[in-house]
Amino acid sequence: MELFFQQVLNGLTLGSIYGLVALGLTLVYGILHVPNFAHGALYMVGAYVSYITMVDFGVNYWVAMLLAAVAVAVLAVLCERLVFNPLRDAPPIHDKIAAIGIMLFLEALVQMQWGAEFRRMPTPYTEILDIAGMTIPAQRVLIIAGAFSLMAVLHLFLKKTMTGSTIVAMAQNREGAFLVGIDANRVAMMTFAISGALAAVGATLFAPINLVYPAMGHLLIMKAFVIIILGGMGSIPGAIVGGLIIGFAEAFGGFYISTDYKDIIAFALLVVILSIKPTGLFSKGVH
Amino acid sequence: MLQLNNVEARYGSFKALEQVSMSVAQGELVVLLGANGAGKSTLFNTISGLIKPSAGTITLDGTDVTGLKPSGLVQSGVVQCPEGRKLFPEMSVLKNLMLGAYVHRRDKAAIKKTLEEILALFPILDEKKDQSAGSLSGGQQQMVAIGRAMMGRPKLLLLDEPSLGLAPLVVKQMFETIKGINEQGTTVLLAEQNAFAALKIAHRAYVIENGRLVMEGDKDAMLGNEAIRKAYIGA
Repeated sequence: MELFFQQVLNGLTLGSIYGLVALGLTLVYGILHVPNFAHGALYMVGAYVSYITMVDFGVNYWVAMLLAAVAVAVLAVLCERLVFNPLRDAPPIHDKIAAIGIMLFLEALVQMQWGAEFRRMPTPYTEILDIAGMTIPAQRVLIIAGAFSLMAVLHLFLKKTMTGSTIVAMAQNREGAFLVGIDANRVAMMTFAISGALAAVGATLFAPINLVYPAMGHLLIMKAFVIIILGGMGSIPGAIVGGLIIGFAEAFGGFYISTDYKDIIAFALLVVILSIKPTGLFSKGVH
Repeated sequence: MLQLNNVEARYGSFKALEQVSMSVAQGELVVLLGANGAGKSTLFNTISGLIKPSAGTITLDGTDVTGLKPSGLVQSGVVQCPEGRKLFPEMSVLKNLMLGAYVHRRDKAAIKKTLEEILALFPILDEKKDQSAGSLSGGQQQMVAIGRAMMGRPKLLLLDEPSLGLAPLVVKQMFETIKGINEQGTTVLLAEQNAFAALKIAHRAYVIENGRLVMEGDKDAMLGNEAIRKAYIGA
């Protein structure tokens, strides 16, 4: 039974990070209909900013997380201004090509600057907690608590504030949003900033139990796409639930089947769910 | 108040509006008559800034507003209630109305006052304020759309076919409401196919055909005009 709960914990850890990354992706998709393939690279840059500020400048973990969130938010806004905004009237394929271009550019830049080697991010939370027979690393508790609190804050922001509502309004009816005086550029920049900050925080939470390297975003972005397709493109609850489904599937699949197949499980689930419900779990219609 | 001079709008090489010159004075209720595809919505979207005119100028109270962004026009007091309503379907009625006051978001007291006025104008919306806008009937959704536009405290309200798809009795109430809004001091430009009902509440009217304004006149001249009767009233 302890082993089972251990897997629940692992599933929650993975799922909360996947959910956080997928949330940023789905927000941008819901509003601008841009599939931001560069989102994984933003995640990677977030991890590097945290790593560099902590290791080279001796900054506190939480301050490093904040710096990474701000830096990646700015970077995401720059991507929107310099790349996606000029392409807003171009055919959709141009956005996709540009997104892949940004991804390659950021990875090459990081590799040129800091090399391709794997690094381990330090964390001040190295204790192992022992609760009811389960061994729980403190960092995992931090990941789960951190990711879910951030999701709750984001939810409140989108639901309760006028500024947050403009993002939802734009996703539900773009023209209607323009006609009440919502500025498209403002919402686009804000959405990219939030999405970048979520990726950076996710990376800083997750990297201590993983590794930091230029290609670290690849598998994650693939899974995040699986998650938002599963959850319904643009759906916020879909991203969170989808993240948890994939997280649990990997944890249990890895344990009860084989860890070799851990990364395939997400994609197998995608095939199964889409053949049963082609529009995704939470989608309310086709865009 | 609103003045259009030789406005032209294109979709690619197709001219959707050609040499449109018109004016709406302070306090007026002006009707724009036209069949489907005549260019009514294009004209409205051009005034609202959703479509950039390819030629001509638009002025509001003497200020040139040609090519302004939609948000800029809402800020200067031109608010459109669009055809098809364009509500935020998964948000509550109240949220839809509150977003209508987006440009006034810092003025909480005034928003509260306008909201009370609108809920008094459409009491049914007060009952349904926590339901999602998409779950309402067509007539009620139209009330939300008009209410949302009114939350922007427009100087000039553009109403694009508010009677479309509504039951006859509801249409009648809708026109009475529009007349009331105009009498309260809001200038209204109303696009309609329902010519008879629209003309009855109007001061003046324009007729648009194939992207050009082909006729203009006051209410009585229009109601008495043989061509108008044939084309739009069917009597």
